[in-house]
Amino acid sequence: MKTKKWLSTLLAASLMVLLLAACGKGNGEGASSASPSPSGSGSAAPATQSAAPADLSGNLVVWTYFDQVKILAEQFMSKHPNVKVDVQVFPGDQYQTKLMTALQSGKNAPDIMDLDHGYIGKFLESPYLADLSAMGGEDLVKTYVPYVTAYGRSADGKLRAISDNSSPGGFWYVKETAKKYLGTDDPDQISAMVDSWDKVIELGKKVAQDSGGKVHLIQGASGLFDIEAFNTETWVKDGKLNIDPKWQETYATQLKIRSEGVDAKLGFMSSGWGSALNDGSVVLTSMPSWATFMIDNKDGKAKGKYGIAKTPEGWYNGGRWEAVYEKSPNKELAYEFLKFVASPEWQKYNLEKTGNMPGNAAVFDELQDTFKGEMYGDQLILKGFAEQMKNMPAREPNKYDDEILSKWVKVASQGIDNNTPYDDVVAAFKKEVKNTYPELKVE
Amino acid sequence: MKTKVNKSAYGYLFISPFFIAYTVMGLVPILYTLYLSFTKWDGFTDPVFVGLANYERLLHDTFFYQTIGNTLIIWIFSIVPQLILALLLALILNEKFIRGKHFFRAVFYFPHIITPITLGVMFALMFDWQTGTINKLLMNAGLIQDPVHWFNSPWWSRIIAASVICWQYFGFNLIVFIAGMQSIPTEVFEAAQVDGATKKQVALRITLPLLRPVFLFTLITSVIGGLQLFDAPLMLGDGPGNSGRTMIMYLYETAFKAFDYSYGGAIAYGIFVIIMFFTAITTRATRMLKE
Repeated sequence: MKTKKWLSTLLAASLMVLLLAACGKGNGEGASSASPSPSGSGSAAPATQSAAPADLSGNLVVWTYFDQVKILAEQFMSKHPNVKVDVQVFPGDQYQTKLMTALQSGKNAPDIMDLDHGYIGKFLESPYLADLSAMGGEDLVKTYVPYVTAYGRSADGKLRAISDNSSPGGFWYVKETAKKYLGTDDPDQISAMVDSWDKVIELGKKVAQDSGGKVHLIQGASGLFDIEAFNTETWVKDGKLNIDPKWQETYATQLKIRSEGVDAKLGFMSSGWGSALNDGSVVLTSMPSWATFMIDNKDGKAKGKYGIAKTPEGWYNGGRWEAVYEKSPNKELAYEFLKFVASPEWQKYNLEKTGNMPGNAAVFDELQDTFKGEMYGDQLILKGFAEQMKNMPAREPNKYDDEILSKWVKVASQGIDNNTPYDDVVAAFKKEVKNTYPELKVE
Repeated sequence: MKTKVNKSAYGYLFISPFFIAYTVMGLVPILYTLYLSFTKWDGFTDPVFVGLANYERLLHDTFFYQTIGNTLIIWIFSIVPQLILALLLALILNEKFIRGKHFFRAVFYFPHIITPITLGVMFALMFDWQTGTINKLLMNAGLIQDPVHWFNSPWWSRIIAASVICWQYFGFNLIVFIAGMQSIPTEVFEAAQVDGATKKQVALRITLPLLRPVFLFTLITSVIGGLQLFDAPLMLGDGPGNSGRTMIMYLYETAFKAFDYSYGGAIAYGIFVIIMFFTAITTRATRMLKE
């Protein structure tokens, strides 16, 4: 009898333990066992010099939403065989929430985190990112594209995140289609044909006419949102909503593009957009360099198939920055990782392997006269981007811009579809902003 | 003589797993949300107590009122055809002479196994303006000249959202109805047959009235579920002028996209009150119908 009771108690207790264990699963997994790196433990070594391979050892946990970070980690580990980098990928919307929770609770937080262009602003002002300037980070970004560095700085001017990429945008085109409808597949000639929006509209009308309305010059009027996003002023100035007058001009252009049949009415990254990019049923696709992962290049299918022309205005879109967690026990080692991220060595490899454009202008300078991508035949693709990237205005991130831009895109896109007057679009937009951010002054 | 009830303390131990799980996973977050709704919190800085400010904002929030209307419209558009369809099919599949009943039951139930997100994406692709199958079909059949921009019309947006839900749940209701029909005693049907009742009379005078409790069950469960519409409509988007945005979508956008957790908390409690209200109405209606 006694044993029976004892047994059932034990059973119930073990069930409870199991249950609680299931609830708390994963609480310990991120707390990387740290054996601080001997070389990084002091600032004895000059910051710019990478430590000798055998010097570094320990474990790092990297959180990201981007699968290709695994390639970065592999390269780092092959250089430093005693370091183990655990890359954890969380795709989609959940990443940001997960990261915020981990940082705030301090439990299970990564040593290194990836931050997207869209929301980096508020993270930079939080107390969770290590001050890279104090660790020697300024030396790493000396030769960087200005806007890339600016986007990793907090308001006090300290460097808190570094990116290995810049994301220049341009018009991608399938050469065959371009030759057929534009009469040439030469990037410089095409760039000259579309160096203003008026010219785009005129050319678009002609393409639509020649093809009997079947082929369009550009994918979507919505592409202009991305192109103008960083060619306009920030959305919030001194606590007030600020609508750059340029948006009115842009909106008028978008309406015209739509009414003249210049665009195929396809949204960026929609399924139709992806097929048009691959089969060339639209002549020009405006997109940032990282979007090339949408091109199907299996077995070299896209070899020499594409060209890149300049858009009427230079632009960039998105980007991924990496930061070190302030309370990470492996800060020094994590900094070594960022050093690698910023190095031309890695960025060159990344460019060749994935086509991601470097953030370090030194790589642009070094390779612009030689680098050719597999998909682009003989075109020197870096050359076209080098000037554009260096001249992009550097802009300080803030916590509103991305979300407010997405509201503008939402409201103005509906406006384009319905041919709504600009003032009505602005009124609807202001209402949305006011509702989400009551703290902002909206006039 | 006193009867002795065995109040062994072990009983508490045995029921404790549920209560612990509920406290950790359910109660604590619910109460924490309530606490947050009285603060201002963006997820980074420490929450600042602001009293009822969030609720005051909620009361004046026209976007919130719009989402209540949207949710109700989508719910009605989905529940009415859903119940009619389920009932008709249940009546047919309950007939003795139908072959392959089990096969059809299984087939109709399939959509219920698919996650709503998948269904939402699927419908979004099907009804896509430029590349959707529906437009291609209609154009090839010569019914329309230019593709229809479905999601640019408030009513089409809502109807498509409603049809996703309708399609997903009619199979479930079908099974519930069939189960209800099979629990009706066969004597009643036999008696009707002997009296020479037609099929229609049997359906209208016997099956339907006796199915009333089952009806009420589906109605009540669908009120709570219907007012919490989220995943499928989320994949279809806000619709023009936010006409397809449901209450929970608004909560999600506020809390997890704009990162206004505190106002999100207030919205959550607002939704709670609304669902309570409608549940109370349904319960009251049920009681009245029973009498």
